[in-house]
Amino acid sequence: MSATYFVETLNRNKEVRRRQAVDQLPIRIGRGYDNDVILDDPHAAAHHAAVEEGADGGLLVRDLGSRNEIFHGGTRRKKLAIDGQTIFRLGQTSLRVRCADFAVDDEVADGAFYAWEGWAPAMTGAALIVCLTVLNTWVGDTKKFELIRYLIAAVTALGLGMVWCGFWSFANRLFGGSARLGRHLFILGCGFTAMQCWGLVSGAVAYALSWELFTRYGSHVVIAILSAMVFYHLLHIKPDRARLLTVSAVAMALLGSGMMLMTNYNSNGRLRDQLFMHEHYPPAMRLSADKPLGHLLRDAATLKANVDEERTKSVDGDESGGNDSE
Amino acid sequence: MAEKTTLVRVLRSISARLAMLLSLAAALLLLSSLALAAATGSEQNRLPAPSSTAQKLYHSAQNDLLQLRILLKNGRAQSSVGSGFLIGLSGLVVTNYHVVSQLALKPEIYVGEYVDTHNKRGQVELLAVDVQHDLAVVRIDRTGTGFFKVPEQPPVLRQGQYLYSLGNPLDLGFAISEGAYNGVIHRGFYDQLMFTGPINAGMSGGPCVLVDGRLAGVNVSKRLDGELVSFLVPIRFVQELLKKATAAKKPPKDFHEIVGQQLLAHQAVMVDRVLAEPLTVKTLGKYKVPVRESDQMRCWGVSSDKLDSPYTVEQIKCAMESSLFVSGELRTGQISINHEFTKSDKLGAWRFSELAAKAFKREGFGAHKDRSLTGPACTESFVANGNLAMRAVLCVRAYRKFQGLYDFAVLTASTEEKVMNLQSRLDVRGVSYENGLRVSRSFLEAIGQEKKP
Repeated sequence: MSATYFVETLNRNKEVRRRQAVDQLPIRIGRGYDNDVILDDPHAAAHHAAVEEGADGGLLVRDLGSRNEIFHGGTRRKKLAIDGQTIFRLGQTSLRVRCADFAVDDEVADGAFYAWEGWAPAMTGAALIVCLTVLNTWVGDTKKFELIRYLIAAVTALGLGMVWCGFWSFANRLFGGSARLGRHLFILGCGFTAMQCWGLVSGAVAYALSWELFTRYGSHVVIAILSAMVFYHLLHIKPDRARLLTVSAVAMALLGSGMMLMTNYNSNGRLRDQLFMHEHYPPAMRLSADKPLGHLLRDAATLKANVDEERTKSVDGDESGGNDSE
Repeated sequence: MAEKTTLVRVLRSISARLAMLLSLAAALLLLSSLALAAATGSEQNRLPAPSSTAQKLYHSAQNDLLQLRILLKNGRAQSSVGSGFLIGLSGLVVTNYHVVSQLALKPEIYVGEYVDTHNKRGQVELLAVDVQHDLAVVRIDRTGTGFFKVPEQPPVLRQGQYLYSLGNPLDLGFAISEGAYNGVIHRGFYDQLMFTGPINAGMSGGPCVLVDGRLAGVNVSKRLDGELVSFLVPIRFVQELLKKATAAKKPPKDFHEIVGQQLLAHQAVMVDRVLAEPLTVKTLGKYKVPVRESDQMRCWGVSSDKLDSPYTVEQIKCAMESSLFVSGELRTGQISINHEFTKSDKLGAWRFSELAAKAFKREGFGAHKDRSLTGPACTESFVANGNLAMRAVLCVRAYRKFQGLYDFAVLTASTEEKVMNLQSRLDVRGVSYENGLRVSRSFLEAIGQEKKP
């Protein structure tokens, strides 16, 4: 049988860097120029190994007396039975041998949205960033109107956004082949919008229904949104690693939340973000019924146990003052 | 005055470099004046005596006049200094509580030492304290000559009468200063005498006497924003404390419990006085706000008039001018009430809400790593007191070293108007839990608005 074999040189990420077709067995591999496959690897011997047909009809790679032998599964071997999935190392070069009849996986459905690349997502993302920044500035603007304040805010936000997206585009070009700046800008725009919406909705819900929980722990949702943004940025760089990236994003969100809780506890002695809800909305937003004063004062009476318990704990503050000369 | 303003104008107009040159010149001038002083030092004997009475008084009093120093036990470095005086022929010395507070509250870190006018030194033992009147009695290892006698009947003072204050100002040396008696001040909860004469840091705890040497009071404080406005503790409080000090058996090692009791006694007086009658109601926009105007509590109105600002802010700030000194890092026994009324006809409802939220957010209730107080524990709710709907936050902190004492803070923001907002704050420092709740309730009940027609 005269089949064609392909010897593939892989990089550390198991991506094929070079693929060489060889018509027949045995395939001699080594640094020497009289080999079928020549390795440019100083750690490979001149005649390092040969791929042959094994006794069972499968392929076999056999060491030809090299110093470093064949490396596979964490050990050195003289001989190794291989199939289309086996990756072995000669010197520092990872290799895989596949036969022409190797059954490849089914093709992946093409979900890429080719129309949504380049200027369109870039402009949408940038517009989202600019509009929301201007809206924010307007809501918080309690001085006389001055255009320059809005311009400074918009340009600053856009500039920072470009720095963020520039970083991801650079990484994308480096590891994914193309920059895709437009997509990254769009991701940022969406993330920013999500955070703004959350801020508005959480505050409004907390204020309308007196559900302070939404403002007390709102930062954790922001951390989740941030993690999702990073997930999508990374997904554009490595679209085939969705599973790993999902796990990483969840881990990142959990770590972020944990750190937020610890920071709050350390600096304020409580887990929540804020001591009291400071949101304020127009009266039309109030939905829940106001409570009678007695209710608040009854709650206040229960605080005594809390502070009394805390006062017994020592505090390791630094020694200060004590220098008054009166 | 004209000279001053022109100097200011000149200084403003010249550059920084010229200012540096000027200061150099001033330094040279100072040096030359010092040299002049040294040259004329020998002629000092010929200077006229300012007042023969002061001279005589100092001469007779100097043997019983002391400087009290609080030193770090470890290293014996000076931490604070004050004055004191020996009573009669005893070894008891009267001074201010704030001079010896470190001995009372941190006896494991500090020790006391006295230095008399002959530079003799010795140990100091704290016997009794009176935080309310800022007095203390200590015992030393020598006795008085009998110059300072505490009279059974306090002397009757007339306005304008000369008083002489003794002590060791700024640790520079013993001094006597002359001034006038100007009546009893009721700004604190306990009477003080106004002395129009110089009292400087370091003279605290020193005696203030009449021309004939009778004790009128004890130097205690001065107004930093005034000139020669100083205060004395009336001698009748010294009398009471001395009785207690001599009656007591063994003084405690740690005065926390006694100080705590006195603070509790003070807060009872303070809260009863504040709540003796319903809080006064003032009008702020359409709102009715509670304040208390009395001898102890003063209110000030502030109105914002920022150029081109699309909103206006009017404030009423009331605070007690006095508070009790407990330690260098803790003053307590005080109440303050603030109201802030914000209104805008230019900002819409949405932006006005943002403005109100920002103002509400600015309010703080203290750090949880404070060494004197615990972190704040708060409760919050939308409440209605029958007249006004508001967001209310109530926070409590406990005193770490004094059982049964708390700080209360109440913060409210009205919620029923689109472009009008009243934010109020009550701070009550150093009260019992019950009294804290009482004051908070009165405050919350009294906030309201004008009845709708």
